[in-house]
Amino acid sequence: MATVPACECRGKARAVLAALGILAVAPPVLAHEVLHEVQRGRAVAVHAWIHDGEDLANAQAEVFSPADGSIPYWSGRTDRSGWLAFVPDVPGRWRVRIVDSTGHGLDTAIEVAAPGTGGVASETAPETAPSGLTAAAVLLRPLVGVVLIAVVFGLLYLRRRRPGP
Amino acid sequence: MHIPDGFLSPTVTVPAWGAAAPLWYWAVRRNFGASATESLPVVGALTAIAFVVQSIMIPVPGGTSAHLTGVAILAFLYNPGVAFVCESLVLLLQALFFGAGGFTVLGVNALAMGLVGPGVAWLVFRALRPLWPRVAAFAGAYAGIQVATLSVALVLGLQNRLASDYMPVPFAVMLPAMMVPSLTVVGIVEGLYTVATLSLLRRARLLDAP
Repeated sequence: MATVPACECRGKARAVLAALGILAVAPPVLAHEVLHEVQRGRAVAVHAWIHDGEDLANAQAEVFSPADGSIPYWSGRTDRSGWLAFVPDVPGRWRVRIVDSTGHGLDTAIEVAAPGTGGVASETAPETAPSGLTAAAVLLRPLVGVVLIAVVFGLLYLRRRRPGP
Repeated sequence: MHIPDGFLSPTVTVPAWGAAAPLWYWAVRRNFGASATESLPVVGALTAIAFVVQSIMIPVPGGTSAHLTGVAILAFLYNPGVAFVCESLVLLLQALFFGAGGFTVLGVNALAMGLVGPGVAWLVFRALRPLWPRVAAFAGAYAGIQVATLSVALVLGLQNRLASDYMPVPFAVMLPAMMVPSLTVVGIVEGLYTVATLSLLRRARLLDAP
């Protein structure tokens, strides 16, 4: 029967002790594990585009909480389709600013109701519709503008043509 | 090219309103009095056309788009004061009814796009017209829109220096982003539009177009 040398036994014992030591310090290391959860319908998504339909893509964007209007709650860039999204943590009037490098952009407010009053989608129902112009309005826009200008100049013309006292 | 509401601080918008308001008063009194009655239909039509061309976005290289102003022609046919009032009316309607530009920034937009741009266009046109009438119209319109665009970029750059929370994009980034499309595409189209419109007015004998 073969015998195990004493030095080999001591080596195995050290290895076991080392493994136990690593396990002993492992819990603090595990505390840095990044966990995640997925919640549907919590975020507010904002889509920005120019009136001809071109998305305001990759534009600088900031979101300001109603709790602090000076420091952005969120900042970043719109995606390539002109969207940004943020998760509001308090109800109220949130401010969204989007600025592209050519000076185009928007500065608008979005009402967010308190949680538990129907979900973000219904809370922000007025904002889910395009806040700018619909496709039909884009086509009508020049026509409406022409009519308004015709009214202004027409009234001015009639006023000037009216015989004086 | 319009600067939207919220991009400029009161430090910039209030002085701009202060400068624009008396100029509006002066320009209206001088150009839209009883003696101007007969020209009102043509001025109104050209203002309406300016509104339309400002609604049409021109795709430019780089994935963005821009628009003409179409008001240099009013400066050529009448004077820069008429262009200033008419462009201000266009900007006001765009701000009030269509969410383009804005009311607080109306003074800045009107001074840049309605006065400085058409003013420079008129100066170039007047300088070149005795030599080359058609080139004068093209060059004037081209120069006018460049100066207007540069003015808007300068104001936004100034705002970035004064308070970057209003305008986070620095001037060094904004200047090429605004001027390259303007120099390469928009200015040329604006010049061609102006020459073509003057030619049409001449042929239609609507007025003694230069």
